[in-house]
Amino acid sequence: MIKNYFKIALRNLFKHKVFSFINIFGLSIGIAAFLLIVQFVSHETSYDKFEENGDRIYRLQQNRYNSGKLTTQWAAGAAGVGKAVKDAFPEVEAMAKLTPEEGVMSYGEKKFKEKRMFFATNSFLPMFSYKVTKGKLDNALTDPFTSVITESTSKKYFGNEDPIGKLISYNKIDNYKITAVVPDVPENSHLKFDLLFSFSTFLKFAGPESETTFDWDGYYTYIKVIPGTNAQRLENKIKVYIDKKVGPEYKKRNESVEYKLQPLHDIHLYSSYMMEAEVNGNGQSVYFLLIIAVFIIIIAWINYINLSTARAIDRAKEVGVRKVMGSYRSQLIAQFMFEALLINLFSVVFAFVLVLISLPLFNSLTGNELNFSLLLQWQFWLTLVLLFAGGTLLAGLYPAFIMSSFKPITVLKGKFTRSKQGTLLRQSLVIIQFAASVILMVGTFCVYKQVNFMQSQELGVNIEKTLVFGGPNVIDTATYKNRLKTFKTDLLSVPGIHKVITSTAVPGKKPGWNAGGIKLVEDGDEKGNQYRIIGIDYDFLEAYGIQVLKGRAFSEQFPTDKKCVLFNEEAIKLMGFKNAEEALNRRIDFWGDQYTIIGVVSNHHQEGLRQPYDAHIFRLTPNTSSYFSLKIEKNKDPQEIIQIAEKKWAEFFPGNPFEYFFLDDHYEEQYKADKQFGKTFGLFALLAIIVACLGLLGLASFATTQRTKEIGIRKISGASIPQLLMLLTKDFIKPVLISFIIAVPVTYYLLQKWLQNYAFKINLSPLLFILPALLILIIAIITISTQTLKAANANPVKSLRTE
Amino acid sequence: MIELKNIFKWVNQGANKTFLLRDINLTINEGELISIMGPSGSGKSTLLNVIGMLDGFDEGEYSFMGNSVKGLKEKQRSQLYKEHIGFVFQAYHLIDELTVFENIETPLLYQDMKSSERKALVADVLDRFNIVGKKDLFPTQLSGGQQQLVGIARALIGKPKLLLADEPTGNLNSKQGEEIMELFKKLNKEDGVTIIQVTHSEKNAEYGSRIINLLDGRIEK
Ligand SMILES: Nc1ncnc2c1ncn2[C@@H]1O[C@H](COP(=O)(O)OP(=O)(O)OP(=O)(O)O)[C@@H](O)[C@H]1O
Ligand SMILES: [Mg+2]
Repeated sequence: MIKNYFKIALRNLFKHKVFSFINIFGLSIGIAAFLLIVQFVSHETSYDKFEENGDRIYRLQQNRYNSGKLTTQWAAGAAGVGKAVKDAFPEVEAMAKLTPEEGVMSYGEKKFKEKRMFFATNSFLPMFSYKVTKGKLDNALTDPFTSVITESTSKKYFGNEDPIGKLISYNKIDNYKITAVVPDVPENSHLKFDLLFSFSTFLKFAGPESETTFDWDGYYTYIKVIPGTNAQRLENKIKVYIDKKVGPEYKKRNESVEYKLQPLHDIHLYSSYMMEAEVNGNGQSVYFLLIIAVFIIIIAWINYINLSTARAIDRAKEVGVRKVMGSYRSQLIAQFMFEALLINLFSVVFAFVLVLISLPLFNSLTGNELNFSLLLQWQFWLTLVLLFAGGTLLAGLYPAFIMSSFKPITVLKGKFTRSKQGTLLRQSLVIIQFAASVILMVGTFCVYKQVNFMQSQELGVNIEKTLVFGGPNVIDTATYKNRLKTFKTDLLSVPGIHKVITSTAVPGKKPGWNAGGIKLVEDGDEKGNQYRIIGIDYDFLEAYGIQVLKGRAFSEQFPTDKKCVLFNEEAIKLMGFKNAEEALNRRIDFWGDQYTIIGVVSNHHQEGLRQPYDAHIFRLTPNTSSYFSLKIEKNKDPQEIIQIAEKKWAEFFPGNPFEYFFLDDHYEEQYKADKQFGKTFGLFALLAIIVACLGLLGLASFATTQRTKEIGIRKISGASIPQLLMLLTKDFIKPVLISFIIAVPVTYYLLQKWLQNYAFKINLSPLLFILPALLILIIAIITISTQTLKAANANPVKSLRTE
Repeated sequence: MIELKNIFKWVNQGANKTFLLRDINLTINEGELISIMGPSGSGKSTLLNVIGMLDGFDEGEYSFMGNSVKGLKEKQRSQLYKEHIGFVFQAYHLIDELTVFENIETPLLYQDMKSSERKALVADVLDRFNIVGKKDLFPTQLSGGQQQLVGIARALIGKPKLLLADEPTGNLNSKQGEEIMELFKKLNKEDGVTIIQVTHSEKNAEYGSRIINLLDGRIEK
């Protein structure tokens, strides 16, 4: 019997080539797209899942309030919270604390600027179940000036030598003894490091307060709780405890602080706070992509249902005859299911090939990094099998039930006509397909517009033609100031460089310097607030094109300017001034020192337009070594400047690697995720539309063949070709139009929600909906026309003779 | 074997009922060869379809081999078809996707028969109908008469107890028609197959043991 099913299924497949092609091609695209998306999604959701006890590990996420208002949200907590919580709660089994560090590491002749370094407590490695490949884990990070490195780092500095016990130098000042080597941190860990230093070293530098104070921020704090601990309850208990511990002190300043238990597994997708260890993923994007994947596969399945039921009339006679030959209905269902199975089998195989072929293209287009190792994952195969089974059952069952239900008598008497019900169902399904297509298309348009909008807005700061490099870490403090001065004048004498600037931050990232408790001198502590501080030199404002609105900029003519600050408009607002004038010459308290506000400057987009304007205070730090910016003249070749700068650099700051970037590229990096999301979204939207149009093509082709005779008669009766086209197209355009009406509110709602992520955003104008909808309508009409034109132009005599 | 009592069948056309069958009373015993005759549109096919349980009726009693047809489930009907009944249709109704061989084989597929057994039976029938050379052709590649032969071969392959044939010789030449009628007669005599055929030809009707004349859905006495 199976052999027979197989034979007839295969014959049907070959006999109705258009039908088979549309189904198999559509399904393959759908399945391939689904596989790619699921792969991407599963990578994004795999973060930190490899951690054995991950479900018991939480990060203490810190929220600071000023005057009852939430002002800053931190990925890293205060210095003292870890120990306090560990000591107070027996259910906290372990606590690990880390704080980041950058600098130049060197061993022998080898020197590199390292950015992924942390001071970490000894408890960190065991908590995250790290195993050593060399050395010992016990007390690896207990003593001051000890270090644990990864295998890659070991290779980089020590080659094939055994690093254990060797000394590695930090900024040519301190030496750390290597106690252990651990495997490289997996790609899907939110906390990636290359070197760890013992926290006890940090304690030596910063003093015992770094274990206890709640006034220093920037310490990643992880806790591991004992099994069976209720996280919510513990979080509440911590709140009460912290309130009791620092509450009274904080209350005086009208401040408060709270800690949330952030599950380790949620960090990558659902956390975007100050000082994240790396740019995290976006849970919402992942969720949206998953919806697209489901859309595409459903659209493809609908094609199968639609085309099968539309074609049912062709199969009706066969059903009738078989029933009369004694076939049970169940046997007919089995036969039709077998056909669905075969089509799905072909599609799955074809999809598999498609995935293999398109993977590099997909990666380069969307900036994802999926690789063929996915073939080794059982999840991949499970998805494949599930899609196969799902497609066969979901798409196959309905047509099988419909076709097997035909009554032999109606069929055999030749009175079988297309049922109204079936047509209605097909039209509804087409509506669903096109509604989904419109949602995706409008979504793509909107993402594209928003990214475009963000890139084209005035930033209020000039980031063009700016070469930035991190300042030197290996310095001789005694001579640094003079050296810097001559370095600057030397560079300025180079033709093509018209400004050399030093600052503690450059646009493109939230400034690392956050200062709390800042207030007017005469105000009480309760008026204190948090500001982001940017230390600048005398040239910064002019070179970066930030406007002085009131007062004046820093100037070498005023030796007292070291004790002065500039506020931006947002900072003026935050401190409660009514206008800029009112702020001038007022004195503020900055961590116990007094500074005078001498000027007010315009707001600028320090960060991408996703973030609102921030409250910035500028301080004069002409000798900072954080960032050097070179402003290059318009028609100067930057490569030349880079070479000169590098030479000078080596001359003035030997022992420091030269690492540079262009500021506009650096700024664009902030939109990388958005752009990537846009491209991925757009690609799959396109695929969805292709699959939907394939279905439409199939239905149109089928309907026009069905109506060949009618068209012939109408033509003989004098109908013109446009009239015929209108007649034929009408039926198909109606569902497409209805789908717009359904899609618009849904899309509007979803986009509104998505745009909430952005402080500066486009307006959802009607055009944003009309254009993509029009585009889809045109695509649909073209698709249908390929069929209807053929039919309308056909010779009527020919078509009538076929009867 | 077949007992029809006061069978009425009608369709509603607007407010009027159009009767297709009126007060049909008919008893057919096993082993009979019956011819149904009548002008076009008199209800011959309709009656045959009712007898074959393909079509329903609106009033009256019908029992087939002791079972009341009214209460039969779809599955039980399928069972009866495959065990007892062979159909020959006026419009052949061959399955276009299957070859001649496969078309004839189809009823056997539903009878749990081994593949080798099926092959042998089909080969036998092909031989008997002289269409061995056509076995791998598809229905569209055959003439009307050849298709009719295949249709008859298919109806007979399952060795039915009852053969319902709607103008089985309508598209055959007179020689072929005669051969088919001889075959029917032989089946009826030797194997005891009950046969009900609809025909327009007086000559073919003569083969029957009994002729039923229909006019306007009523049996003429
Ligand atoms: N569903 C229906 N609705 C209305 N009238 C019907 C229906 N089915 C059959 N008829 C009518 O019933 C009558 C009998 O039809 P039937 O097919 O039984 O005739 P027939 O005797 O087999 O004719 P022919 O010799 O042409 O095959 C015809 O007039 C036909 O139009
Ligand atoms: Mg008839």
